[in-house]
Amino acid sequence: MNNEQKLFQAVADVFQVDAAVVKESSSPDTIPKWDSLGIVHLVTELEQAFGVEFDILEIADFRNVAIIKSILAEKGVRF
Amino acid sequence: MIYGDLPASWPEPVKQQVAAAASSGRIAAIRNAVAAVEALPPESRGKPFRLGIVRTFTLEAQLEALKLALAVIPSAASIALGELENIEQVLLDPASPVMAARPDAVLALWRLEDLLPDLVYAPHTLTADARAQAVSGVSERIKRLCEDYRREGPAPLFLATLPVPVQRADELSDLHQPHGWHDAVLRINQTILAQAAQPGKIYTFDFAGWATGFGRSAFDQKMDLYARQPIAAAALMSFASAIACSMRPLLVPAAKVLAVDLDNLLWGGIVGEDGIPSLKIGHDYPGNVYRRIQQALLNLKRRGVLLVLLSKNNHQDAVDAFAALPDMLLSLADFAAVRINWRPKHENLREVARELNLGLDSFVFADDQAFEREQMAFQLPAVKVLPLSEDPLQILNALAHCTNFDAHRVSAEDLARADDYAAQARRQELATTSASPERFLESLQIKAVIGRVGEATLPRAVQMLAKTNQFNVTTRRHGEAELRRMGADATNVLLTLALRDKFSDQGIVGLAIGVRGERPQELRVDSFLLSCRALGRGAEQVLWASLVAKATALGYQSLSAEYLQTGKNQQVADLFDRLGMERIASSADHTTYQMRVPGQVTSPAWVHVIDETGR
Repeated sequence: MNNEQKLFQAVADVFQVDAAVVKESSSPDTIPKWDSLGIVHLVTELEQAFGVEFDILEIADFRNVAIIKSILAEKGVRF
Repeated sequence: MIYGDLPASWPEPVKQQVAAAASSGRIAAIRNAVAAVEALPPESRGKPFRLGIVRTFTLEAQLEALKLALAVIPSAASIALGELENIEQVLLDPASPVMAARPDAVLALWRLEDLLPDLVYAPHTLTADARAQAVSGVSERIKRLCEDYRREGPAPLFLATLPVPVQRADELSDLHQPHGWHDAVLRINQTILAQAAQPGKIYTFDFAGWATGFGRSAFDQKMDLYARQPIAAAALMSFASAIACSMRPLLVPAAKVLAVDLDNLLWGGIVGEDGIPSLKIGHDYPGNVYRRIQQALLNLKRRGVLLVLLSKNNHQDAVDAFAALPDMLLSLADFAAVRINWRPKHENLREVARELNLGLDSFVFADDQAFEREQMAFQLPAVKVLPLSEDPLQILNALAHCTNFDAHRVSAEDLARADDYAAQARRQELATTSASPERFLESLQIKAVIGRVGEATLPRAVQMLAKTNQFNVTTRRHGEAELRRMGADATNVLLTLALRDKFSDQGIVGLAIGVRGERPQELRVDSFLLSCRALGRGAEQVLWASLVAKATALGYQSLSAEYLQTGKNQQVADLFDRLGMERIASSADHTTYQMRVPGQVTSPAWVHVIDETGR
């Protein structure tokens, strides 16, 4: 599994959707369970999956998968 | 943590899945593990357990982990979460979703940060007087809550002790001023423990103890600020395990017997090879480790756990060592049964179980030899085999922290039990020297006290329902809440039987529950049970006669009863026949009975019955 698949899988696991439907454009508008509680799950899941730590202001930017991907890239995760 | 020692009845793949999910802490793995456990047949899942939670912080995203921990105890657990903050409103309102779910237990989780945020984050905005007042305000609040809950609450309530706040102001100066937050934590926790020390519905979950043990990383400041979810992801499985363990005695019956090996467990060395002078036991290293192990066993014995010695040795060698070694804490008289011989240990254990009249699943087995452990697990899968090594320190900790014997409250009966088995030996001695069985029973001077199940006797009644397997016609494991509900209806009959004779006072050893039946004027026998220590003296007839008398006094015209076969209660398969009831219907594992009241009942002549139900 490459890092993009890993990211999509984490999003799918947290929001209980099929990994195949997750895209860079996926957001609260396209994934019903992506609510504030969902983000709490997602932060934890991504920190565990990639062994990174988000700082507290970055969490506020979790508005779609593309943004999350770029935050992860800034932390040295290679896509 | 509990995830390394999963129920023996679970299939290996499920065990592996649960262990892997617990160590990964990943959401999908935990969710799938919960689903896998929930798909197991009901008999592997344990009894249904509805947990209600009231709390001052977010737990929504962490409930699956808690469910998994409760499932591995095992229990078929479900959780209802109360809305944030409203502790009293949720607990004291029977219509709140948490209470309307009819919980089997409720947990109150709180932190000083949420109860008194100013004290923790801005202590200098408050004067010493204001700080003192704020703290006593919380203590009063807890006392009032407990008072109200004792009256109205339906199920055990677990109050969390408060952890020392991790993010806090003025750490050093707070220690040197009156009524700071260090002081607040101690005072409020003292209030909580004082409530839990009283018998009845209030229990405690040692949140503070867990947090201290885990360390500062138990809490996640970022997620606390972002979502008010303070329990750190990396600490979650441990947190869930601690909660599940604190409720364990409500979910599974406690084990009753610890069967232990001798060489390299109670002393260092092998008596038959090394000789008595070389054995290590005493105040100095390494004998002090074995002395601590003996102390751990003695502590269990004082709490009512029976000790059994299973040793492969020449009998005389071991007996001589017990007599000769000066620093032993245990003597052979501390064991309810001793088997020092060369037979396989499982054969000895099976024989002891028969002798003590206890089921094999009441036994925990401890041995430093892998071969002995594996043979026991293979031959007698019902026996709980402790995962030990040859390291005596590991053995000490496994025995001292063994959760299989855990109980919330140690009853007077527990404390008396070990001595009672010694009295049993003296009774047997008298029986062999008596002219006839009747003469023997008369000479015991047996007194039976019949009482009502009330607040004082409720814990013992619940304990008996949870632990009695053999002399138990229906094996219904009612909890405190159900029993209290039944007792509140004056047309139900809930009786205890306490037994004493010239050798010992056994305390409450019998329980009978009759509830209003479906047909008019019929009392249905819901439960009827005796401790195995009470057998052979006519106690069942005394209890039965009392139940019939109470039914008559309440105006009932008939009694109905049933026998539900469990594989362990064969000895009461014909109890109701013997007591003079009429068989109505009978299938392989279920027989129903009826009788008119007042009917023919006989109470044994050698028992002096004292009726204290009027009290």
